[in-house]
Amino acid sequence: MMDLASLQTLVGPENVSASLEDRLVYGRDASRLRGECLAVAWPMHPEQVVALVEWARAEAVDLVPRGAGTGLCGGATPQRSLVADLSRLTRIESVDVEQRRARVQAGVVLETLNRRLALAGLFLPVIPGSHRSASIGGMIATDAAGLRAVRYGVMRDWVEEVTLVDGLGRVHRLSGDALNHAAGREGVTGFITEATVRLAPLPRQRSISLMAFDDEAALLAQRRRWLVPELTALEYLNRHAAAALGWEPRPHLLAEFDSAQGEIREPARIAELWRQRDGLYPVLAASGRWLIEDPQVEEDNLVALLSWLDAEQIPAFGHLGVGIVHPCFRPNDERIAALYELVAGWGGQVSGEHGIGLKKKAWTDDAFRAQIRQLKAVYDPQGLINRGKLC
Amino acid sequence: MLKEPLENPACIECGLCREVCPMFLILRQERISPRGLAILADEGVASVTFYQCTLCRACRVVCPVGHDPAGERIRGQVVAQGVETEANRIMIANIRQYGNPFGPLKEGEIPKTLTCC
Ligand SMILES: Cc1cc2nc3c(=O)[nH]c(=O)nc-3n(C[C@H](O)[C@H](O)[C@H](O)COP(=O)(O)OP(=O)(O)OC[C@H]3O[C@@H](n4cnc5c(N)ncnc54)[C@H](O)[C@@H]3O)c2cc1C
Ligand code: SF4
Ligand code: SF4
Repeated sequence: MMDLASLQTLVGPENVSASLEDRLVYGRDASRLRGECLAVAWPMHPEQVVALVEWARAEAVDLVPRGAGTGLCGGATPQRSLVADLSRLTRIESVDVEQRRARVQAGVVLETLNRRLALAGLFLPVIPGSHRSASIGGMIATDAAGLRAVRYGVMRDWVEEVTLVDGLGRVHRLSGDALNHAAGREGVTGFITEATVRLAPLPRQRSISLMAFDDEAALLAQRRRWLVPELTALEYLNRHAAAALGWEPRPHLLAEFDSAQGEIREPARIAELWRQRDGLYPVLAASGRWLIEDPQVEEDNLVALLSWLDAEQIPAFGHLGVGIVHPCFRPNDERIAALYELVAGWGGQVSGEHGIGLKKKAWTDDAFRAQIRQLKAVYDPQGLINRGKLC
Repeated sequence: MLKEPLENPACIECGLCREVCPMFLILRQERISPRGLAILADEGVASVTFYQCTLCRACRVVCPVGHDPAGERIRGQVVAQGVETEANRIMIANIRQYGNPFGPLKEGEIPKTLTCC
């Protein structure tokens, strides 16, 4: 039995719980895998994360870092672990408007940060569909991409420095190439407690074009025409996904520009279209198709991938500007294996943005596993943090 | 260890509603979020946590699948199972006996006004 009373003296009695209710709700994240949570801690300051790791080492309890729990591959699912929820690390420590950078704690929510930054005409432009809830720490840990990746890239491109508390309780400030030891590593090297992120100026103008096509080939021809410097998002819905939103059951492309190029310009209509797009995965999930995948392929293979999904009648959508597609399956669908065989044959990625977590371990290769083991040996030799994730 | 993922038709546990819940915004604890309450309801746990929901239904407005927290119904079920807070018990008893949540009024006393946010 672990000594929770001593943990309570370290982080405060109100910041530790082993109640049935807390154990149940922290046993799950948005992946809908069900794990087993032994207890929960809510560090209030980055220093308490160090104390928590030291306590866990002494008690030989493994820890699962958790941000908002919107991850889709079970990265925050505990397996007889203590979940460390960083949702209370919510300080925006500084905003440098001139240098366009901000220093924030890991639990700051993207939308909260961007609302604050809007006053200064700035924003952090990596916008996953979960932007209303996702935490900055979780976004760095998963190297989130999202709706505007075609213009702004992935989270790692916007991170200047992270503070990482590793599995030995040591505090590292990582920047440059060493950022890769934390960004995109889904918490297996330690807890991201704070980060310095770069910011972009808010576009002065936004417009959208929404177009339906007869088939995927025609849609991909238009995709090429829309890859212009003003493009800020290029979202795809196949006919099955469009039907789920009550749209005409034809393949659609939604393109957003930071110019007046698109024909839809009223802010309310633009917001409504994005609201529907944000709700697409939840709507498909509610219809039973909650296994969402995120393969990423090169432009040359897009037509084959999209045509295969369409012929198999699998609802799919995605960030077509960067080749990430989200087919949504019912559980135990054997076509998931067929999909990844196709993607591997094309030299594509198993995960374009959601990560590996527990769900996609089977699809990783030896080189990836060797890389993770090497990082583990340096940052978490006791295998204390996010045990069993990634490899 | 990991159990088979099951269907939860009411809530798909995406977590998109966390930041509109007034209780979650204060406590930042998943249990007291719309998703946490939906999980507890799904698991059939009779808990005083359900009394911490203000029944404001902000979560219903933003939920992409229109999940309704069904707070009143769940609270009724929780009461039926004998799980109740002291404040709730006194309030219900006062309403039944005196017709207001605050209890007996002195001669000429005006009842305190119930106000909303
Ligand atoms: C409706 C919906 C739409 C989505 N759309 C997108 C999208 O467009 N693009 C995209 O990339 N993702 C998307 N996602 C997935 C998810 O929102 C992202 O992966 C997000 O970055 C996770 O952030 P989080 O704070 O919820 O992290 P969690 O889910 O809490 O954690 C995710 C992983 O990061 C680790 N982690 C979390 N915080 C820390 C920390 N501080 N230090 C170390 N490790 C940590 C966890 O252990 C876990 O492995 C979507 C999810 C949903 C439900
Ligand atoms: S109804 Fe309850 S759970 Fe939903 S937002 Fe209001 S307080 Fe939160
Ligand atoms: S109530 Fe709706 S928004 Fe909230 S977690 Fe459930 S499905 Fe998602």
